[in-house]
Amino acid sequence: MGYFWREAARGVRHTGWMSVASVLTVSVALFVLGVFGVLSINLEHAANALNRQVELQAYFKPSMKPAAEHAFLAALKHEPGVRRVIFVSKTQALGQLKKEFPHDTTLWQLISQGNPLLDGFQVYTKQPRQIPPLARTLRKSPDVGQVVYQATVVSRLTVVTRILRTGGYVVEALLAFATLFIIANTIRLGVFARRREIAVMKLVGATDWFIRWPFLLEGIYLGLMGAVLASAAVIVGYHWVFHTAAHVVAFFPLAGVSVIERSTMETTGVGGVAVGLLGSLWALRRFLRV
Amino acid sequence: MVRAQARVLWRTRGRCVEEHRIWGDAVIIRLETVTKRYPNGHVALDDVSLTIPRGEFVFVVGPSGAGKSSLIRLLYHEEVPTSGEVYVDQFRLGRLRRGQVPRLRRLLGVVFQDVRLLPDRDVYHNVAFAMQVVEASPRDIKKRVPQMLELVGLQARSHHFPHQLSGGEQQRVGLARALVNNPHYLLADEPTGNLDPETAEGIVKLLSEINRRGATVVMATHARDIVNRMNRRVLAIEGGRLVRDDARGRYEEEGPARTTWLSTVSHEA
Repeated sequence: MGYFWREAARGVRHTGWMSVASVLTVSVALFVLGVFGVLSINLEHAANALNRQVELQAYFKPSMKPAAEHAFLAALKHEPGVRRVIFVSKTQALGQLKKEFPHDTTLWQLISQGNPLLDGFQVYTKQPRQIPPLARTLRKSPDVGQVVYQATVVSRLTVVTRILRTGGYVVEALLAFATLFIIANTIRLGVFARRREIAVMKLVGATDWFIRWPFLLEGIYLGLMGAVLASAAVIVGYHWVFHTAAHVVAFFPLAGVSVIERSTMETTGVGGVAVGLLGSLWALRRFLRV
Repeated sequence: MVRAQARVLWRTRGRCVEEHRIWGDAVIIRLETVTKRYPNGHVALDDVSLTIPRGEFVFVVGPSGAGKSSLIRLLYHEEVPTSGEVYVDQFRLGRLRRGQVPRLRRLLGVVFQDVRLLPDRDVYHNVAFAMQVVEASPRDIKKRVPQMLELVGLQARSHHFPHQLSGGEQQRVGLARALVNNPHYLLADEPTGNLDPETAEGIVKLLSEINRRGATVVMATHARDIVNRMNRRVLAIEGGRLVRDDARGRYEEEGPARTTWLSTVSHEA
């Protein structure tokens, strides 16, 4: 095994600048892959965070007496799947509204004549999927006027994630071609530079795989070097974004740095090895036919 | 069955000369009506049939372009015949599968006029390379390479690079490389072509020593003096045809002086 690594290192030195060029190309491609990974992980993270926050909001019918409302909520607390129930009186709701739209005078005039809002409540479930059945039950209740929940936001976010992923695949496929091409060319140069050795190797009875191994390792090596550069760039960049975001919008739901680090290293590493291996296999496809 | 035996033979390459006895005195190189036509239409060999028994020392002579090199290349499967069949050891070369080529080559040692050493490795590593390539153990390599360098008289030169050596020394390195894996057959294509007569003599002495130790030697050559002095079997090829096969031959056909003189002139031209 030592022999193969030594020969692979020899090959990288032989091809010099071409190796540097292919490492850089690989790292650009893997950097883009890493950025897509970061984006999709974050979208997923945001969707999950929203899912966790997903609440169901409902309003009592205006005819309900406060005592009956409280009794209703007390009973609701014991329903299966319900985590938390918060009562929001119409006075509180009005305060909230004023806070949200402090400069809307028309609105002020309208609601100063008498609070048109309704008493309501927010329900948090233990799991997001428990929301739709709960909403159905509440809608059937004669005391409840209206039920609203955020399923639509979550499903939209999922759609965005899916579009991003598909776009990512297309861009990656193109980049992968470019990368394969340059790695294959680098390896081919190496093969050319060492054609005399290869001729002697064949002459004394080396097997095809014995001749191929150093070149395959060389390809893998180039791919891995690219992966190291790319993941370093992505991780450093993400650290920056993460800390900046923490200052600017404290509660923005960004995925944790360690999650990103691990997944970036994994995807770029696997991508680098794959592209290096495939590139060199592509280059070696024909040369041994002598 | 044949393949199983071949495997045993291959694994025990280190003691191959003894192992080889299991094949008896069978004919081990055989050409049957072999024709080699290159894509450009040139016919290098034309309907050649010959057999070479185990342990023989054979000269292949003839003018340049007569087909000597093509014959050697057919034997180590660098080329395949256009028609006819070539047998070497247990291999039928026309039907050789790709995976079997290394097995054939490990039975052969090949030397060329342009030695084909690796310029960026010293003498020791040029020879060791041939053993690394067939995945010999580092211990065997350490033991065997100096033995080979001693055999060819270059142990003092082992850390020199090819460009620091004379032509004769380079050829001896080539010979050491060809022999280091204990081949059954030694194929030499004009090994003395670039050498002065004395150096050439040394190379041929080595070849006959190797032959004496049991290897079959096939040497394509122009060197009339050597062929005449050695008094071994001579195959003469002209225009791709085998024109003469003498068990104890000379370079030129013994006959009218005029023919001899003419062929001599054409060889030297």
